[in-house]
Amino acid sequence: MLKAMRSILTAACLIGSCSAALAEDPDWSGVVDAAKKEGKVVVYSMALGAPYYVAVLKSFEAKYGIKVESLDLRASELAERVRTEQSAGRFLGDAEIITTTMIEEQLKTGDYVQKVGAIPNVGNLREPFKASDVSVPAYVQPMGILINTRLVKAGDEPKSWNDLNDPKWKGKILSDDMRPLGSGNTMFAVLQNKMGASFNEKLADQKPVFSRDMRNDARRVARGEYPIYVPQVFAFASDLKGLPIKVVIPEEGAPYAQMEFALLKNAAHPNAARLLINHFLEADSQLLYANAWMLPVVKGVAERANDDAKMFANAKLMGMATLAERPSMMELARKLYQ
Amino acid sequence: MSTLSSNEVAARSMRLGFRAGRLMEGKAPRRLALAALALLLAFLSLYPLSMLFYGSLHTTPPGMAGTFDLSGYRQVFTWPTAMLFANTVGISLLKTFFSLLLAVLFGWIISRTDTPMRGVLEVLITLPFFVPPILTAMAWGMLGNPQVGVINLVWRWMSGSEESLINVYSYAGVVWHMVQYSTPFLFLFVVEAFRAMDPALEEASRMCGASQWGTFRRVSLPLMMPAVITAFLLSFIRGLENFESPLFFGTPARIEVVTTAIYNSIHHQSIPNYQFASALSFVIMALMFLLVFWHWRLLRGRNFQTVTGKGYSPRVIKLGSWRWLTFALCVAFFLVSVVLPIGQLLLGSFFQFFGFYQWDMLTLDHYRSVLGNDEVWRAFRNTFLLGFGGASVTMLLGSIVAYVSTRTRWSGRRVIDVLAWLPWMMPGMVLAVGFLWGFAFLPGAITIYGTIWALLIAYVALGTPISVRVMSAAYHQLSFDLEECSRVHGAGWWQTLWRILVALAWPSFAVGWVLTFFGIMRELSASVLLYSVGSEVLSVVLLRMWENGQAEAVSVVGLMMMSLVFLFRWVQLRLIKRYVNAL
Repeated sequence: MLKAMRSILTAACLIGSCSAALAEDPDWSGVVDAAKKEGKVVVYSMALGAPYYVAVLKSFEAKYGIKVESLDLRASELAERVRTEQSAGRFLGDAEIITTTMIEEQLKTGDYVQKVGAIPNVGNLREPFKASDVSVPAYVQPMGILINTRLVKAGDEPKSWNDLNDPKWKGKILSDDMRPLGSGNTMFAVLQNKMGASFNEKLADQKPVFSRDMRNDARRVARGEYPIYVPQVFAFASDLKGLPIKVVIPEEGAPYAQMEFALLKNAAHPNAARLLINHFLEADSQLLYANAWMLPVVKGVAERANDDAKMFANAKLMGMATLAERPSMMELARKLYQ
Repeated sequence: MSTLSSNEVAARSMRLGFRAGRLMEGKAPRRLALAALALLLAFLSLYPLSMLFYGSLHTTPPGMAGTFDLSGYRQVFTWPTAMLFANTVGISLLKTFFSLLLAVLFGWIISRTDTPMRGVLEVLITLPFFVPPILTAMAWGMLGNPQVGVINLVWRWMSGSEESLINVYSYAGVVWHMVQYSTPFLFLFVVEAFRAMDPALEEASRMCGASQWGTFRRVSLPLMMPAVITAFLLSFIRGLENFESPLFFGTPARIEVVTTAIYNSIHHQSIPNYQFASALSFVIMALMFLLVFWHWRLLRGRNFQTVTGKGYSPRVIKLGSWRWLTFALCVAFFLVSVVLPIGQLLLGSFFQFFGFYQWDMLTLDHYRSVLGNDEVWRAFRNTFLLGFGGASVTMLLGSIVAYVSTRTRWSGRRVIDVLAWLPWMMPGMVLAVGFLWGFAFLPGAITIYGTIWALLIAYVALGTPISVRVMSAAYHQLSFDLEECSRVHGAGWWQTLWRILVALAWPSFAVGWVLTFFGIMRELSASVLLYSVGSEVLSVVLLRMWENGQAEAVSVVGLMMMSLVFLFRWVQLRLIKRYVNAL
């Protein structure tokens, strides 16, 4: 853990020393100057103090001398806090990092975010990531299949999502609960769309055992309670090196959740927030995420990732859950897993 | 500058006491004091609840355009929700029954028998209560999973059986995990009540030929009724509101309870359904009210006073060789509820990963990362500040409310009592949203929102029900003769309060303080919604660590918290011992 922290901090220092070509843009220079005058930025994040996130914030502080106050909350709490504050006229936050669907929901139900404006590093986004008027991709969390390498022989390793429906795994799959909103339901929704309706029906016949503790589930598989766990967020296994587990990226690809930046309405420090968004899209910031087995959203990073992280940084993406489908997918999952 | 002699100071303070007492005795000041107390409690409980009530009747949360309707309540009165409720009541009743049984037994053993090493056992039995539930859940998952759980592996090795002995991912697992927390909590409640009992009544029973068991059943236990019934009520209500145990052990077995339904509707719905969550909570609250009324009716007009003007010291019952059985019972509980799970945590904290006990994975990194983490220390500081302040204010408020409701005949005292109960009847995660809405929508000039005061006020509100219950149970046992005697001998109202009530009830005050303090240390739902940058508390930092996969570091913090418990309980017991000896 300490080694990982040290390498992250070293990389963070490197970011601080990088010079951005965008500083030459006179408009952007104005933003940078204004941001420095603002002196601080308040970010609402669901990163919950992840070391790579903290490292990016520290590098930002070091580079610009702007203090970052990060309020870490779980997704639903973050959304409710933003909604309540804005409804009550308390504009305390400047920016948020939250899932794409939650920003869509905010746009649908109220007036909580404002236009981000031009962010120079948005030009460096790689396919299929795109910024909108009000949001900018920050990082991506893809999901695959986790196996216990002692319990699953090399020849039996699932290569495809379909392999989960092999009768030999009946009753042997641990899964994040697919009925409520979360990673389990994201996987359910994406596989329903991409693998056909029969896939989830067959998976339900496999009688997967549900859990609601994603951070402990990989360890349960490592200890041998179950040979397989789905969906495994790649990044959540990156700090379990040394355990008898392996993350498999199925040939069809990986469902994923996308985190995006948005600028909150009436932000007190809008320029500092925009500068932070831009800093997040710096190649070196994204490299911190790539080395933690997440998928970078900008070009020129995946190839620089550590050897163990390269395959995850270049993972084939399958799709993400959409806001419109959420209720029906949750209903279907409830029906299949009554 | 003139100085006052000690006699003059004493005389002056006595005169002040008299004046204050007189003031309290007047009708108008009494009404004023009562109104102020009611207002304070209303702000702490009614205000956030009123926000939630609005939420239960409105299609959208406060601040959003919507309409009023009863769809939230209509969703509650459906067959699936009724089944959920039946399930929840069943689990809560079972856990309350077993934990109360164990708590009363241990309370009696520790306070009234000559069981060896009672002082040590008393501290050890209470330990599980102070460990974050998420840690014991993980530890029990490692111990009792049917596939490779340590207990099952040992069982298979010893018996040659292919079957598992236990499965924590079951109904029984949910109940057991709750019992593990509930027993020490209830034990703390009843042990002081046992201590405060005049043994003359038991001696009279024994002299009339009753057996030890008969005396316990017919004398000791009935006299413990206020404490036992209150403990039952608190435990049952807490059981209905328990969240972690059904989430971790119930989900794999497809066991759903009311709190997991509320959790899903707030945190895991496409659009958070606060209307259903708050409506369901209000229905639960209404049912809890029935229980509280039952509580009042049961205790009304009955006399449970055991601490009278006559001097006494708690009699120790000589159990003879049976004392080794009682000792073994306490040790067995300690082994199962403490040594097994905490041992896993302690062992795991020295290895890179829990459950992988290989030489090459031995490390002190988790201790280094916690001890060298500024955020942890800042959170400790904030939590201690809030814990000391919050627990002290809460107990002070609880003592006053309990005094008004149990020791006076003031009209309106029932209202005060009800107001103090309210926060206990609302599931924590829902009430936390009420606080968020409540503080955010206060007029702009009142800047509680986003400050450390928001946390302090929420903690006081959440802790008040328990402080009132602890102090009410203590006051119930104190004879009115003591106060009358004090007044007859010329003591003022304040003096009587200080030298009789406070002096006799302070062991309960100390227990309540510890419970409240550690309640604050563990509180997450309100903390995570109300904290601001710089006012992070321990539970928020633990959540961050857990969500970042640092389970071993979380257990290091958990172990540090347990060391604190040792220290607190040791100091507390030393003080109680000194106090009891001084009687």
